[in-house]
Amino acid sequence: MTSIKKPDEEELVITRKELALQKEEKEKLVEELIIARKELAFQKEEKGKRAAELGIANIELAYQDDEKGKRAVELGIANIELAFQDDEKGKRAAELGIANKELLFQNEEKEKRAAELSIANKELLFQNEEKEKRAAELGIANKELLFQNEEKEKRAAELSIANKELAFQNEEKEKRAAELIIANKELAFQNEEKEKRAAELIIANKELLAFTYISSHDLQEPLRKIQTFVTIILENENENLSENGRYNFQRMQLAAGRMQLLIDDLLAFSRVATTELIFEKTELNLIIEEVKADLKDTILEKHATIEVTEIGSANIIAFQFRQLMYNLISNALKFSNPDIPSHIIIDSKIVKGVKLNNEKLSPEKNYCHITVKDNGIGFEPHFSDRIFEVFQKLHGKEVYTGTGIGLAIVKKIVENHNGIITATSELNKGACFDIYIPAG
Amino acid sequence: MNTKQLNILLADDDKDDRLFFSMALEALTIPTKLATVVDGEKLMAYLFENEQQLPDVIFLDLNMPRKNGFECLLEIKRDQKLNQLPVIIFSTSFEQDVVNMLYKNGAKYFIRKPSEFLQFKKIIQQIFTLISQENMQNPSRENFVLTV
Repeated sequence: MTSIKKPDEEELVITRKELALQKEEKEKLVEELIIARKELAFQKEEKGKRAAELGIANIELAYQDDEKGKRAVELGIANIELAFQDDEKGKRAAELGIANKELLFQNEEKEKRAAELSIANKELLFQNEEKEKRAAELGIANKELLFQNEEKEKRAAELSIANKELAFQNEEKEKRAAELIIANKELAFQNEEKEKRAAELIIANKELLAFTYISSHDLQEPLRKIQTFVTIILENENENLSENGRYNFQRMQLAAGRMQLLIDDLLAFSRVATTELIFEKTELNLIIEEVKADLKDTILEKHATIEVTEIGSANIIAFQFRQLMYNLISNALKFSNPDIPSHIIIDSKIVKGVKLNNEKLSPEKNYCHITVKDNGIGFEPHFSDRIFEVFQKLHGKEVYTGTGIGLAIVKKIVENHNGIITATSELNKGACFDIYIPAG
Repeated sequence: MNTKQLNILLADDDKDDRLFFSMALEALTIPTKLATVVDGEKLMAYLFENEQQLPDVIFLDLNMPRKNGFECLLEIKRDQKLNQLPVIIFSTSFEQDVVNMLYKNGAKYFIRKPSEFLQFKKIIQQIFTLISQENMQNPSRENFVLTV
């Protein structure tokens, strides 16, 4: 600035300028000095304030020192307290050691339990599965039961209706029962009366048959003598008799002969009804052979064949059964068709009652079914019951001899055997007699 | 035919039957001597009286008063002196049971009295023939009853 001077004008301009600038600079500095002074005054003020504050701070520090002393005392107390607490902690640690051991043991136990529980769990799991299966089954069963319940309820409802109906019917039945009791008493009384009558009738019947027997028996003798005298007259006085006288004697002989037949049959009938019944196992074939031998002449005369197919034995009253077969076979021969040879078929078999379809026969019993079938003149079907009655004849005595007792005897004999006899026929188509007697 | 005279005893209470019997005997060619009694008591009395000269054959009716034919048969067959006598039953009735019993009791034959005189003669002839042929041998049951 000042020292360096240059001789030329420029240099002087520059130096002026330089001097102006320096003047400016000096002014600025004065200004800055003013400011710095002002700054210093402020700082001085600030230092006063700081000192005041320091005084206060000192007082504060003194207080704090005091407080620190108090704190130190408190810390001493606190330390003692801590030492005590340390001691306590040691005790606690020992106790914890024991407690830990205890816990360890308990843990072991718990593990054992846990293992057991695990097994038990598996078991429970299995049981659970089973239970679920059962539950599923039960579910199905429940549905079924439910369905059945419904059905039962329906049935119950139906039953309830039916019960009411039954209750009503019961009432009705009770009424009927009461009526029946009265009716029964009446019937019981009537039954007793009937039994008395029946017993009386049985006795009367026996008496009647005994009378028939005795009278028939005693009638034989005078009749036989009449017959014998007739034959003596016809033999010895033949040349003394007129033609007419001889004819009349012959008629007398015929009448006496019929009477003899009648008496014989009546005797046979009453005998069948009164004699003791002794049953014995008998070969039917033997009886048929005997009857065939008895009827030998008639069989020849009628050119008859008697065919015995299947035949067994039966529990029968032999002499009565012989009479039965005799009557049936001689009937078949007597009522044979004159235009064709007589053919009689006899057979027997054991049949269960149920198959015979006859209400008079017991379905459970076995029966001996004997059939005598011929190819003779037969009879109209409506006579099939009547022919078994005593003295019932379908033909005049001039055409067919007989008393009408033969089949009554047959029926009586079958009844003596606790059996039944039926006859089936059509006119000119042969006759068939079916006998059913209980098989022993 | 045996030419020796046959001694016949007939026990029958019926007069007509005794007549028929004697008539039939007369008609036969065999020499016979007939004695008759009219009931069972008289028959037994006759037999005991004539023990030394017993008949060759007895014809016995069954239905007689005082003592019937069954009783007589039993008595005869139980008596040692009489039990060899041939007894022929001569009866009107014909009952199977009765016939069986008579056979069992030792009667020799059973004849049912015929109703024709011709048969009467024939059957008596038949009896005599049989008696002369058999030597007291009793017939079997099936030949017991004689028929014409």
